[in-house]
Amino acid sequence: MNGETILPYLIIVPLFGAFSMPIVSLAGRKAREAWAVIISGITLIVGSAVFYTVYENGPILYTLGAKSPFGKADFPIRIVWEVDLLSALMVLMVTLVAFLAVVYSLGYMKHDTGLDKYYTLILILELGMLGIAITGDLFNFYVFLEIMSIASYALVAFRNDTWEGIEAGIKYMFVGSIASSFVLLGIALLYGQYGTLTMGYLAVKLSQNPTVVAKVALAFFIAGLLFKSGASPVHMWLADAHPAAPSSISAMLSGLVIKIGGVYALTRILFSIYGASISMKTVGWVIIIFACLTLIIGNAMAVIQTDMKRLLAYSSVGQIGYILLGIGIGLAAYGSRTGEIALAGAVYHTFNHALMKALLFLIAGVVIHELGTRNLNELSGLAKTMPKTTFAFLIGAAAIIGMPPLNGFASKWLIYESSAIFNPVVGAIAIIGTAFCTAAYVRVLYTFFGKPSGKAMNARDPEATMLWPMIILVLAIIVMGLFPWQISDRVMIPAAKALENQLGYVATIMGVG
Amino acid sequence: MGLIVRTIARTTIPLIGIFGAYIVSHGHLTPGGGFQGGATIAGAGILFLIAFGLGEMKKHYSKSLYSALEGIGGLAFLGVAMLGIGTAFFYNTLWHSGPVLNGKPGTLLSAGFLPIMNLAVGLKVFTGLVSALAAIALWRRWKE
Repeated sequence: MNGETILPYLIIVPLFGAFSMPIVSLAGRKAREAWAVIISGITLIVGSAVFYTVYENGPILYTLGAKSPFGKADFPIRIVWEVDLLSALMVLMVTLVAFLAVVYSLGYMKHDTGLDKYYTLILILELGMLGIAITGDLFNFYVFLEIMSIASYALVAFRNDTWEGIEAGIKYMFVGSIASSFVLLGIALLYGQYGTLTMGYLAVKLSQNPTVVAKVALAFFIAGLLFKSGASPVHMWLADAHPAAPSSISAMLSGLVIKIGGVYALTRILFSIYGASISMKTVGWVIIIFACLTLIIGNAMAVIQTDMKRLLAYSSVGQIGYILLGIGIGLAAYGSRTGEIALAGAVYHTFNHALMKALLFLIAGVVIHELGTRNLNELSGLAKTMPKTTFAFLIGAAAIIGMPPLNGFASKWLIYESSAIFNPVVGAIAIIGTAFCTAAYVRVLYTFFGKPSGKAMNARDPEATMLWPMIILVLAIIVMGLFPWQISDRVMIPAAKALENQLGYVATIMGVG
Repeated sequence: MGLIVRTIARTTIPLIGIFGAYIVSHGHLTPGGGFQGGATIAGAGILFLIAFGLGEMKKHYSKSLYSALEGIGGLAFLGVAMLGIGTAFFYNTLWHSGPVLNGKPGTLLSAGFLPIMNLAVGLKVFTGLVSALAAIALWRRWKE
């Protein structure tokens, strides 16, 4: 299978689906829902194929408009897409969770109006995230970042007859636009200084001539992208946006958007563009400080919440802290075994957390759908009336805490181990974060196992379209948990190596390697 | 609006529309293009809405038509981008070997798929902006 022929369909298929949605929805509700499922299903197939090809044959370079990124010049002039193993992993993660969220929406969004816009937006959101994952051009990255962000602003405020939807949407949009403009400002500075926007070639130019402008641009990138990932001083939008959005969207926001638009973009810029021209140790420590703050604040705030989705949102902030910690140690201990393990742990945890947090938000959606409330104090004893949902929640909560037979264990272990070797204080902070996280999830378990309350007596397990995505995620979590070290050695460590290997990234585009 | 405004609007709306169409169709030759031209034509639509009022607008505006046209604009853009998919996405095959639109540079029928893309973007921008403005104008009243 040739990776170059299949890669553009990753963009074409969701774009085609989104553009044709207004026409297809003229044929009625069933056609629109079937269309959304078909399009996101095909995208999943294409995404898996891309992942498989990259895994087998190494990175793909795709040039838009011609066969080669070079015209008559000796530097890249066209937009390129560059997919290494890390990008391919992100593509697989996005297409999988987005497909499950679309299937889940069939049952979950049944009572809402304006669903033609909803399915268009959800496909655009997926498109933006795929674009960020595959692009190798800095301005192209910004465009896809904005596609993703604007689609998520609209989806957060989708239920515009509720006050919290509008409030969260406005808050998210105002601060999100400022964060995006930071990124744009950084790109403008870099372009003014170096005259190129191709990531690989920019890395060459940067290492030849590191300037103050490049450092200022890096500060803007870190500030903007830490916002997008929900790191601690700027995590406040996340705690409002996740509860207010429909649960299928919360699953995508928490599982995908904060990782692709934040963490993935940050690693790509730090390692692939700035790798050779900055002091890795300094930047690494900056990230570690934010990571430690995020870990403690996110998980500690999760413990005191009474709203189920808000609790999950703060838990997402906490888990982003682990991922950032892995990246920070990967930078600060660059080139050593510790740094590589930490980075592999961060990549692994990104993937795992996407699965488990998507599952937990889908479950929260089911609970809200059945009982009409998400206040933990009003809920208890769902285990009797909703056994399948309860089982799924048990798996998801155990996985996110990091219980050994499930997938969260291996990824968190890699991060604990490397942080303890790197610096015992940082390791201790990571453990404290997990203690808070456990406390938070044990509280939610009381919702499910307890004396049945009046509301819980009338609850039922959800219908098939809502149940199956949950079952698939539970199966994925269990199966990934059975082979943790095989997955780590075969996929996650090579992905981390691909990320660390800046020369390889540059060589792929410049045609040397 | 008053009589003078309506009469002026009746004469200027076609002029604005024609000028916008000119900008769209000459996007590859003169400054402007799909977005600028589309926004200009949408300006004519907004002038119609303001001069003749919401009642008249409701008679001439159909949500499903505009929404479908916007989709068609996007699909046309994607379609011409895929014409050269054998070489690469966005490969300008109409310019390199296509049957039409590969005339002498500087003439109207040159520049490969660019004029088609300008038309598609113009259509999308026009329908999108008019739909957005119509939706805002049709929004619930100030108090409930």
